[in-house]
Amino acid sequence: MTDKPRILISDPTLRDGSHAVAHKLSIKQICAYAAAADAAGIPVVEVGHGNGLGASSLQVGESAVSDEEMLTAARKNLKRSKLGIHVIPGFATINKDLSKAVDLGVDVFRIASHCTEADTTQRHISFVRERGKIAYGVLMMSHMAPNDVLLEECRKMESYGAEGVVLMDSAGFSVPSDVTERIGFLVDALSIPVGFHSHNNLGLAIANSIAAAQAGATILDGTARGFGAGAGNAQLEVLVAVLHRLGFETGIDLYKVLDAADLAEKEVLPALPAIKSISIVSGLAGVFSGFSKHVMRVSEEFKVDPRDVFFELGKRKVVAGQEDIIIEVADQLAASKRERS
Amino acid sequence: MTDQRRELVRRNCLEVLEGQAERLAPLRKGHVFITGGTGFMGTWLAELLTCLNDQYAFGMRVALLSRQAQSLRESAPHLAARKDVALVEKDARELAELPESTSWLIHAAASPDNRTHSSDPLETIDSIVGGTRAVMEAAARLPELKRVLNVGSGLSCGAQPLDWPGLPEHFAGHLDFSSAGACYAEAKRLAETLCAAFRNEHRMEIVTARPFAFLGPYQLLSRPWAVNNFVRDGLLGGPIRIQGDGETVRSYMYPSDMAFWLLRILVDGKNGGVYNVGSPDGIKLKDLAVKIADSFSKRPKIEFGVLKGGAPNTSRLVPDVSSARTALGLGLRTGLDTAIEYTLAWHRNAAPGKIASTI
Repeated sequence: MTDKPRILISDPTLRDGSHAVAHKLSIKQICAYAAAADAAGIPVVEVGHGNGLGASSLQVGESAVSDEEMLTAARKNLKRSKLGIHVIPGFATINKDLSKAVDLGVDVFRIASHCTEADTTQRHISFVRERGKIAYGVLMMSHMAPNDVLLEECRKMESYGAEGVVLMDSAGFSVPSDVTERIGFLVDALSIPVGFHSHNNLGLAIANSIAAAQAGATILDGTARGFGAGAGNAQLEVLVAVLHRLGFETGIDLYKVLDAADLAEKEVLPALPAIKSISIVSGLAGVFSGFSKHVMRVSEEFKVDPRDVFFELGKRKVVAGQEDIIIEVADQLAASKRERS
Repeated sequence: MTDQRRELVRRNCLEVLEGQAERLAPLRKGHVFITGGTGFMGTWLAELLTCLNDQYAFGMRVALLSRQAQSLRESAPHLAARKDVALVEKDARELAELPESTSWLIHAAASPDNRTHSSDPLETIDSIVGGTRAVMEAAARLPELKRVLNVGSGLSCGAQPLDWPGLPEHFAGHLDFSSAGACYAEAKRLAETLCAAFRNEHRMEIVTARPFAFLGPYQLLSRPWAVNNFVRDGLLGGPIRIQGDGETVRSYMYPSDMAFWLLRILVDGKNGGVYNVGSPDGIKLKDLAVKIADSFSKRPKIEFGVLKGGAPNTSRLVPDVSSARTALGLGLRTGLDTAIEYTLAWHRNAAPGKIASTI
């Protein structure tokens, strides 16, 4: 044992990466990557629609294959790794979705809410624990709440039975000093492990993840080649390499995680994630990366600058699930433009 | 409710009463009114009181008040069907009057479920404080009332210093009352003060019991407490998962002992006195997990969860019960090993198809 804590790596390549392909991952891709991740010893492999279990819909995008098919395919290819899913109450219901996921062999349930709405996770977390499975709480868009509010929300999740809480920097807004302060504050105050999930809008996903680990986080998310919503996530193979370089333990075989990333690039990713101009803007505006495709489409339709749309959405503090507001904002910007001309 | 479950609980009641039932003699022919009457504590009190009626001819009447009183027909139909047990469906806050013949009152209404406390701190405070005030006001008008037992909480004393073997009743520890998370403990503390005010203004006889942690039948395994999780994980085939490093210390009392202690405190506790109720024998959670795992013929694996970073967050919550021991001559009849054995038997003997709802 080293005196550095062990870091539990959770890999949402096959979940957050779904955002990058409009939720069109195929069974073949899921099987190939899950097997490679399993061989690398990645502790948790997250699978599903980008917005999680039960989210496939016209509104946020339909999956190419059903949750059941995705989870069954992944389960068959995970021998050592645990199978994880992302769950947002509202998209996923207990009877229709969670119960089936338990039966399909999901091990880790990450129950998520907006960072100030942990109350919505109570029944889902309780159900997962009652079925003897691992439940983590996830607070999305964590940059939108001050530390003391985040602590209260984390404590709610802890009281519901969450075995850890993961902060998502969903908009890729944070810089390392934010992460150090925030994670350190929560680690000191909570009795359960704290995790961090980064996005790379400002090119800081790895730096933020390392800042989180050094502040006491013991759960980190990373995806192969950074495959994920918007500018992508912390690049898994880089994250593992840097953690090892700093003396953290992950239990992951470096060569094999590099192989898994190579496979992902070849078999899963249609294009390597890049920090496009619009991702920088969404990061600065503090808006969920998953909005990008919708913003681009709507902006083109209304003939407005998508950067203006993002900054306006940021002012309105929109959160996932409020995609309808994109149209409203674009319409108002278009009207203003007409008035000016 | 299966016959095996009913028989187990009755056997437990007989075990705890053997040779000491007469220490509850003041209750004979009394009318005992219990708020929170269908919860874990209320149900066990009803089991022990009806056992006293059946085996020792105490001739008591028992009334159980609860917001979902009819739920007793599902959880303990043998109690709900008895002629000496009456069900009163009402929120304690709405209680305007108590049966005039009430001679003993046990105020145990309050959910100890910390999930509810987190989600709805205002309701938690209101139900405890408002409920206690309404119940005491109704009690103050009773002509035959002998005693009131107010059920407080071991959490009201705040964090126990790690180097203290037991938490004494007089310890006024730190509670972060600026946090909504303190709502339950603070409301319970205020409820004790309310009782003191009623004693002062109405010259009522009120004694307080502060319960700690328990393990046994009628306890829902859905509650997110370590011991419940360990038992449930074991029943589901494992692994039993320990959060953190397992160094946190708790102690567990079997509920037949709990019910006997509560009744002894009711009848013989000093007016205005406060008594801890729980086991003084602390155990580290990692050792508790081993004990529970060892109780299965096919031993489940024990796993440690993700370790927390930063400073360890170990706590200790073990009562000092010397007041109850010395003043009331109370001790434990059921040790932890037997408590685990009985608890597993209870859950294994759930009615077919009822396992999920029990768990």
